[in-house]
Amino acid sequence: MLRNKVVSLKEAVSHVESGMTIAVGGFLALGDPLTLLHGLQDSGVKDLTIISSTAGYGDRGIVELVKAGQVRKIVTTHIGTTPDVVKAYHAGEIELRLVPQGTLAEQLRAGGAGLGGFLTPTGLGTVAAEGKQHVELNGKTYLLEEAIRADVALVRAHDGDTWGNLRYRGTAMNFNPLCAACAGYTIAEVEYLYSPGEIAPETVYTQGLFVHAVVRADLLYRGSSLDICSPSAT
Amino acid sequence: MPDIRNVIAARAAQELKDGQIVNLGIGVSSLIANHLPAGVDVVIHSENGAIGVGPAPEAYCDDPDRGNASGKPITMTAGASFFDSAASFGMIRGGHLDMTFLGTFQVDGEGNIASYAIPGKAVAGMGGAMDLLAGAKIVNVITEHCSKDGKSKLVKKCTFPLTGAGEADVIITERAVFRRYPDKGFVLEEVARGHTPEDIAACTEMDYVVSDTVKLDAYGPGPED
Repeated sequence: MLRNKVVSLKEAVSHVESGMTIAVGGFLALGDPLTLLHGLQDSGVKDLTIISSTAGYGDRGIVELVKAGQVRKIVTTHIGTTPDVVKAYHAGEIELRLVPQGTLAEQLRAGGAGLGGFLTPTGLGTVAAEGKQHVELNGKTYLLEEAIRADVALVRAHDGDTWGNLRYRGTAMNFNPLCAACAGYTIAEVEYLYSPGEIAPETVYTQGLFVHAVVRADLLYRGSSLDICSPSAT
Repeated sequence: MPDIRNVIAARAAQELKDGQIVNLGIGVSSLIANHLPAGVDVVIHSENGAIGVGPAPEAYCDDPDRGNASGKPITMTAGASFFDSAASFGMIRGGHLDMTFLGTFQVDGEGNIASYAIPGKAVAGMGGAMDLLAGAKIVNVITEHCSKDGKSKLVKKCTFPLTGAGEADVIITERAVFRRYPDKGFVLEEVARGHTPEDIAACTEMDYVVSDTVKLDAYGPGPED
């Protein structure tokens, strides 16, 4: 059995083609797969539809692909921390669909879990409900939200093994396990790489069956509160 | 004299009861933890995937993998844990949070809240706010009474896009506290020092009734501050 999915960055991102829908883990650049996003930048693919909780933080994350003109549409919950994405939206360079964060998380989870959709009370009476089917169940009203699947998912994990078992650290987990499970082809960048058997089975969060390629993460380039916020934030 | 933001945060903190699970948003909400009443210990949930959040770390002591919903560094208290965003919003929608606090652009007498967008001006996105409003047992709106141009933020009817319909339970400003009841709508229950019920009426567009037992000089900076 092939237990080694470790490939070069270039080989991994060669699975992304122009026009694809890409689910990207991370939240405000924390846990964003910045190594893979750079790989995409170098590959030059265009017209991407990006699904991600945010567009990054400052000049890090998906904002970099937007500035490179590679993104056609973003499905996200918040772009307020990336002024260049706001600018691109106002200039008509990208399409934007805003989704409540819990709904987006569940859409990705449902997509990975083989569900067609789910019922949620979130967004009732707001623009998030416009055009959506309202369902009455046991005396309560819900919105019918559809599951999301992506062509490719890009995620970052703290560590993992060569088969693609992944573990996360702190709040860098966020959307990564959800994105990992919802795509036809999932690429994981890991900060630390182990052989199968070196990670305790009960501590694995994303199982290797979800992952198709493993890449070593660039440890120096990370979106983190550490180098973004210190020391002025304290 | 304490600044307005801390006056609001200090009064908001009085809503907390020992042992509650609470989500503190960004802005003024994030100051609430600095004003916890003596003997009140709450567990702070952050929607990006943490519960048991502690104060901000000392300079240069932050952990690069620990941030809050604003992307700012955090510490964790004993008993804390991390989880993915689907689990986090399951906690929120599932009714497992006792309270949430959030600021707003507008709130009206029906409890509608418009906090995430000003058409033509701001398109940041709703983030997790819609889920928090739909899921938290009690929604506390904490806001300055008037916007910078002097208009009441407590409006007759929200005109900006709604974050939540009929979700506001309590409104806390630097001037007054209103609580919403199913039969009466919002009731003015407290007036801060330096204000009168007449003042409040003059700067509040929202429909409300005045409690028979309205508390005057209820909070805020006194003459000695």
